[in-house]
Amino acid sequence: MSNLLEATDINAGYGEMQILKHVNFVIREGAITAVIGSNGAGKTTLMRALSGLIALQSGAIHFDGQMIGKLPAYERLDIGLALVPEGRLVFPDFTVHETLRVGAFARRAHAGWKARRDQMYALFPRLLQRRSSRAGSLSGGEQQMLALARGLMSMPKLLLLDEPSLGLAPMMADEVFSQLRAIRDQGITICIVEQNVQAALGLADYGYVFEDGQVRMEGPAADLLGLGSIRESYLGL
Amino acid sequence: MKERALTIVSIIAALALFVGAPQIVNAYWLGVALQLLSGIALTQSWVAFSGLTGYVSLGHAVFYGAGAYVMALLWQSAALWEILVASGFTAAALALLIGYPALRVRGPYFVILTLGLSELCKYVVIAIEAALESSGRLLFDTPDPVFLYYIMLLLAVLATLLTWGLARSRWGAGLRAIREDETAASTVGVPVTFLKIMAFVLSAFIPGVVGAVWVLRTTFFEPMQLFSPTTSFTIVTMAVIGGSDGAPGPIFGAAFIVILSELLWARAPQFYLVLLGILLISFVLFIPRGIYGQLTALAQRRRA
Repeated sequence: MSNLLEATDINAGYGEMQILKHVNFVIREGAITAVIGSNGAGKTTLMRALSGLIALQSGAIHFDGQMIGKLPAYERLDIGLALVPEGRLVFPDFTVHETLRVGAFARRAHAGWKARRDQMYALFPRLLQRRSSRAGSLSGGEQQMLALARGLMSMPKLLLLDEPSLGLAPMMADEVFSQLRAIRDQGITICIVEQNVQAALGLADYGYVFEDGQVRMEGPAADLLGLGSIRESYLGL
Repeated sequence: MKERALTIVSIIAALALFVGAPQIVNAYWLGVALQLLSGIALTQSWVAFSGLTGYVSLGHAVFYGAGAYVMALLWQSAALWEILVASGFTAAALALLIGYPALRVRGPYFVILTLGLSELCKYVVIAIEAALESSGRLLFDTPDPVFLYYIMLLLAVLATLLTWGLARSRWGAGLRAIREDETAASTVGVPVTFLKIMAFVLSAFIPGVVGAVWVLRTTFFEPMQLFSPTTSFTIVTMAVIGGSDGAPGPIFGAAFIVILSELLWARAPQFYLVLLGILLISFVLFIPRGIYGQLTALAQRRRA
């Protein structure tokens, strides 16, 4: 499998503050890559830097054969890199229907958005039931599905997910994880940041462990899950 | 379908009424109609940016005043339409200059910043005028009021079309997404910075021209008056009362305020501003979608 995204020696943060320190990071095409680590390890900053919400301080990012490190977020979306942000960030006053429509804002996603919306309703039947409801009135799980569907409306090659299970009831989280598998099976590459280490590594093919803005460990997800140090630090076993 | 036909018929009827008004009504009522048209044009242009993005600007008075100033400086030294276009472009250029730094901040900071910049511009113009030893500028041989009325009608129609078209377009969807959540808007591919500045600049053009027409009508340029923040406050009031999520709202808002002020200014001027304040507070608290937003919500409820 080839690499869909390659970040080389990236440094990033907010203003003067540096969070990510010399990070090398690879996402393989067609796989699910998990990023785990404690609070403040730089996982969300990584997602923001990859998607272009914050600028790199230095380093390079290649995506699908292009240098994207200096492109603004909307241009990265135009070539197929979508982020489902932490905390879902739905548009509270938009209906489900309007949200999916604006999800196809990117130029490459504009044609055929109606057919794609119907695919989303097939993938997330609960959204179909609530298509005229305001996004702000949906439950946490429904909002997460909406955020996922909104991300998929842009026809991404790579979907970055920041804490999709945050604040969800365990059953709802399981449902979201099984939907991620279905999305991967449609050929969309996924990179997921999670607090729920067991679920994330159970789902993923490859994993990274972040600590203090640096890659502490990486390897096939199943290997990481078997490591004593991971079990101790993140699973409390 | 029936509703749509009704809308089209009432738009045509209203337009015909405005086109025919100078033949029907006396000078006083033509003045009221001019107020109404300028209110519509100004509020539409405000809604095109502030209504859609949620960035509440108190800077519209600057664009209005700048347009009036350009007219006062150039009147009789160039053709009328040339000065009108120059007024619009001056206001738009000013918006580009102000917008780039101002649009980095949100919420109350943006409101205060636009108000501050607006006052700053006012005093800069006052200082320039003082340095030129001018205390107000009289404009001679200004066009006939009926002619100015038709220019204002054209501006109101253009501003309405601008807001209507923008609100329905892909860009309008992007601007509304910015209003809802700016970070999320970036993640769906909205070019946030570009769109905000573009809409701000577009929304400044119309008030520039309106200010230029207005100073021809009053025939006197005085910076305190033409850069007065009251212009911005009135526009915001019209937008809040009428509804600020698209083109119909400002028409309702402008009509409401102009009629109210006609009814009350003459009879109870002290009471007028008190009532306006009470109305503004009530609308913000109880009818935040404005008259038009409330009407559509009621219609939807009846249908459901």
